[in-house]
Amino acid sequence: MKLQHSLGGLQNLGPVNVEPRVFVQEWEKRIFGIHTVMMAESAHLTGALPQYPVDTLPTTFKETWTWASLRTGAESMQPFEYFKYRYYEKWLMGISQFFVDKGYIMADELASLTAHYRTQPDAPLPERPNEPVKQQITDYLVKGDSGLRPTAEAPRFASGQTVYVADPAAVDHTRLPGYLRNKKGTISEVYPGAYNYFVSTGPDGIGEPMPVYRVAFEAADIWGESLSEPNTTIYADLYEVYLKQANA
Amino acid sequence: MSSDLFKYNEEREAASAAKVRALEALLIEKGVLGSDSVDAVLQYFELTAGPFNGARVVARAWVDPAFKERLIADTPKAIAELELPQGMAGAEGEHMVAVANEPGVHNLIICTLCSCYPWPVLGLPPYWYKDPVFRARGVREPRAVLREFGVPIADETEVKVWDSSAQIRWFVVPERPANTEGFTEEELASLVTPESMMGVALVPAAAAKAA
Repeated sequence: MKLQHSLGGLQNLGPVNVEPRVFVQEWEKRIFGIHTVMMAESAHLTGALPQYPVDTLPTTFKETWTWASLRTGAESMQPFEYFKYRYYEKWLMGISQFFVDKGYIMADELASLTAHYRTQPDAPLPERPNEPVKQQITDYLVKGDSGLRPTAEAPRFASGQTVYVADPAAVDHTRLPGYLRNKKGTISEVYPGAYNYFVSTGPDGIGEPMPVYRVAFEAADIWGESLSEPNTTIYADLYEVYLKQANA
Repeated sequence: MSSDLFKYNEEREAASAAKVRALEALLIEKGVLGSDSVDAVLQYFELTAGPFNGARVVARAWVDPAFKERLIADTPKAIAELELPQGMAGAEGEHMVAVANEPGVHNLIICTLCSCYPWPVLGLPPYWYKDPVFRARGVREPRAVLREFGVPIADETEVKVWDSSAQIRWFVVPERPANTEGFTEEELASLVTPESMMGVALVPAAAAKAA
């Protein structure tokens, strides 16, 4: 199992951090912005419903970069490291490494320019505005990237039906919260249509369009009576491949 | 109360600040993005997508019960009735669902796998939402977590926890506070916080309005 897939229910973590700020350091804004630009320029958007013209966009970026990329990176971290670094520190590490691995930048030029800005924090950035990219960023944020696709196949499960959650092998990336594996739930809503996912998760099973269900779980059915709070229902949206028939 | 685990020294923050600036500079030089690209993203979340939209949705639901019914039944369609900025069904809000607190029911939104959050109406997630401790504990002991946020929820109240694991981005319509009978919609909206729309805060009874 991977700890990052099974955060839900982990004990002994101490009090929650109630910090309400989005960015706890100014620098965090910049890595959030870089990530969002990458999503707006991502090669996969040629196949998105709004049919973004990313293939003709004046950018040298030709990769697919989605939430799945960022999540896969976070899920591949050594678990103690995952807890050691703050949220946007992990983004900065993952995104920098991605650009090095893909050959867009060299590790040593990043290191030397970092040293430069370390001694001169206010040294300016290069001035090279890009109006079409700016427009694409706004278009992407306004129109989004829905995974909803039409489907010819009827959903396998119906509202009110009892189901069990599957227990596929833990691979690089999943959208199945670990604490729900093998647990019993009830379909509370069958979402119309089918939903794809940004990438194929291989034997984990998502990627191609499939029905998604809202599944309700009694807390005691997940954690057992002694570890549960009373009168608590947990809802999760689960892709069809993550569900099994109760008698199967 | 809050953990100091994620408080780092200035040296470490300065190193990250220099690294992200170097990364942005190189990406501009290599033509990956423009020098105005990151600012365009940040400006969008200052002006267009943010909790100011969600607050207006909630305030409308408080003053118009029929709108509230439509909002719960078909969230995107009801939101489209309001004069909000373009993009309310945009990135990370393509499929949003609102759930309402009411006497006997309290809702809590969480994303145990990452940090899914309804961008158009709430903007970007606060730190607490992304913190692994909240994500780990919120699904098993929501009342204990809510007490740490200063929100006591009785055992008799049903707690519904919504784990954002696929396409839906959830938000909460909190209960309208007492002493707000004479408030305009705008004044009501000013009481609504992101925390109250995620279920970790209530909207407190308003102080009497200045005459």
